[in-house]
Amino acid sequence: MIITNYIVNADARHPAVMLVIGLLILTFLIWFFWPRNGGLEWLTKIYRHNKRIQLEDALKFIFDCEYNKVKCDINAIAGNLNIATDTAGELIGKLMELEFIHFENQFVTLTDEGRSYALRIIRIHRVWERYLADQTGVKPTDWHNVADRLEHHVSQEKIEILAASIGNPVFDPHGDPIPTKKGELPDAKGVLLNTMKEREMGKIIHLEDEPSSIFEQLNVLGLHPGMSVYITEVNDKKITFVADGEECTLTPLFAGQVKVEKDDHKTILPQKHELLSSLEIGDEAIIKGISTNCRGPQRRRLLDLGIVPGSRIKALMKSASGNPVAYNVMGTTIGIRKKEAGLIFIDRIKIKEHAHS
Amino acid sequence: MNKDNLQSIGDEIISEANAARWDLGSDFHDSIVETIYEEASHIAHKTVKQKDGKQVYSFDLKIDKLITSRWLGFPLMVVILALVFWITIAGANYPSSLLADLLIDTIHPILKNFANALHLPWWLDGVLIDGAYLSMAWVIAVMLPPMAIFFPLFTLLEDLGYLPRVAFNMDNLFRKAGAHGKQALTMSMGFGCNAAGVVAARVIDSPRERLIAIITNNFSLCNGRWPTQILIASIFIGGLVPASLAGLVSAASVVFVAILGIFFSLLVSWGLSRTVLRGEASSFSLELPPYRPPRIWRTLYTSLIDRTLIVLYRAIVFAIPAGILIWLVANIHIGELSIAAYFIKWSGPFAFIFGLNGVILLAYIIAIPANEIVIPTILMLTVLSANISGVGEGTGVMFEMDSIHDTAQILQAGGWTLLTGINLMLFSLLHNPCSTTIMTIYKETKSLKWTLVSTFLPIALGLIVTFFTTQLWYLFS
Repeated sequence: MIITNYIVNADARHPAVMLVIGLLILTFLIWFFWPRNGGLEWLTKIYRHNKRIQLEDALKFIFDCEYNKVKCDINAIAGNLNIATDTAGELIGKLMELEFIHFENQFVTLTDEGRSYALRIIRIHRVWERYLADQTGVKPTDWHNVADRLEHHVSQEKIEILAASIGNPVFDPHGDPIPTKKGELPDAKGVLLNTMKEREMGKIIHLEDEPSSIFEQLNVLGLHPGMSVYITEVNDKKITFVADGEECTLTPLFAGQVKVEKDDHKTILPQKHELLSSLEIGDEAIIKGISTNCRGPQRRRLLDLGIVPGSRIKALMKSASGNPVAYNVMGTTIGIRKKEAGLIFIDRIKIKEHAHS
Repeated sequence: MNKDNLQSIGDEIISEANAARWDLGSDFHDSIVETIYEEASHIAHKTVKQKDGKQVYSFDLKIDKLITSRWLGFPLMVVILALVFWITIAGANYPSSLLADLLIDTIHPILKNFANALHLPWWLDGVLIDGAYLSMAWVIAVMLPPMAIFFPLFTLLEDLGYLPRVAFNMDNLFRKAGAHGKQALTMSMGFGCNAAGVVAARVIDSPRERLIAIITNNFSLCNGRWPTQILIASIFIGGLVPASLAGLVSAASVVFVAILGIFFSLLVSWGLSRTVLRGEASSFSLELPPYRPPRIWRTLYTSLIDRTLIVLYRAIVFAIPAGILIWLVANIHIGELSIAAYFIKWSGPFAFIFGLNGVILLAYIIAIPANEIVIPTILMLTVLSANISGVGEGTGVMFEMDSIHDTAQILQAGGWTLLTGINLMLFSLLHNPCSTTIMTIYKETKSLKWTLVSTFLPIALGLIVTFFTTQLWYLFS
């Protein structure tokens, strides 16, 4: 009240005090909307911690353990959901009451009903991730978190409409299969990268998205499902391999987050290509392909514009601000950002044509 | 076979197909599509014979190199856009005054006389003719000519192939702000009319970036606000310097406000893409079409029908009730004072904190249909609240003065200072979009939430900016 009176009474107020009040309000507003740990996030976190969401997350985790043939106990659940062991105990009690799980010899297993519930949530989660990856600008490291939030608030019918609109996908962007509407799921495939031996090759089929700090690192290295890998060197401290022509080194801990489907039929060794982003103005090249990291509409858009293996491409000019760069392909001029140009493989044409240009 | 049997066989096939899709892996779809494209381009290469393409495009390439060069690119863009605005503002003057002569100075008195002859009660005549008709006439007179000039010019630039180059040059800035490169186009369009800019955001496919373009479009100073800026700048800022420099200085201050708008547009895009609309800039691949002679008649037709008339129609729909409202608040009395005077008195202390006054706040609320009628409303309300006699057309009737000098005198009599002028310029940039734009935003987004955000976010920013300007001004003066 004192503040209100102060503000309304024109004679009494002093600009310095007003500025301080103004700055306080502004600071509060900035804090409230600050990403990740601002007030708005804080409120949504409180909202997230309701019981149903915890139950669903626990079911999902228990299913994951079963799928990967790992035994699941109360401590693992508490650790995964980031809650106290007592709370986890309550949660298990509640799940048993609902007849979603069995609890024997300290280990938890799902009932048929619990399994189908978990599969439903997983389907929603993975369809969302696919949608976020292909159709929106949500960052790779945010896919999982956003889908985690959305999965609890969407009905089965809505998710079927969403799935149909993106062509009923069968894999999520991390390489995990999406359960069908009826809850079918193929058996787990592939081996972990840290169990592979020298001179073995295969294709990355899965990057684990939790913990997110490791996923972020793998992302920075440019690893993604669909890449072909060839192991060049293995010792206790590190694993060195070639992924789509690029040499990569990981510690066994990190490599344990990557799943590879081994390929014994010796396919052609993936050779290293130059990237379109490295092409200098005035130079020409032949397009070799588009990285598997470029998906969905983004990929089709590039194909539409004529970025097809075998086409000739020429770098024409940089924009006034340096990025994007304009290229000539199939008789048209298109501007492509540096980041997308880094997803296109080329072979430079060695002999420069000194034609009129 | 009965129906159930068929159903179960169907289900079996579907689940079989699903299992097969799992075995094929995640990149199967993309590789099929790619093979089709590869095959198509192979066939095209074999069958389509191209003339020596290099010669055809070498002239284009020379122009392109100039337009996108590091040093010339941006200055050239500013010059071309400035030229478009100058042609619009200068060219609209004459037809606008012609329309005003016809609709306001000729038809309005005729209608009044006609109402007199019919012995209509004064309030009915006031509501219908001084309120509804006059407000509609005003909106047509001030909105139609600039839009009819700006939109065809803009469409010509688009047709010519220049606008894609603007997007190409500006993309880096918008990418850093988490927005789409084509937002440069919707932003430029917004300089003409925000409603048209919002519609133009359809060219952006990513929903997140489209929403950002829509929300931030209001920070482009639209046609309706340029005259306000120019008038206030000439009165208050041009008055600070010798007469020989006045024109230049006031023009510079208006340009500064417009650039401030671009800055806010980028800042808010950046803020949105890091908080509520979090995400990375989606892919950007833009075709730069070859330059070609524009199809003038088609351009004229489409820009007149699609843009000008639709926007004008929406503005009129809102101008009529707003005109009635403006007349009513000035004429309905509670006790001694009219509603308008009450509001002006009551909101005065609040407005004072932001260096504005009650008249400005009320004008921005009731003149929501079009930014063009803000100044006439402000003049009418100032005369009303400061009890100036001998000017104006009567209570609740909007008017404009013939000379800048007379306008300045009215405003100064209403207690305006240099600070009020500066804050009005800032608030004119940073306030809610006009009702036409708000309605367009709702039609484009189909979301009440985002419509409200686009309406109130600029007001909040405007209040923050004017507050700090005012208090710092008081502190240092």
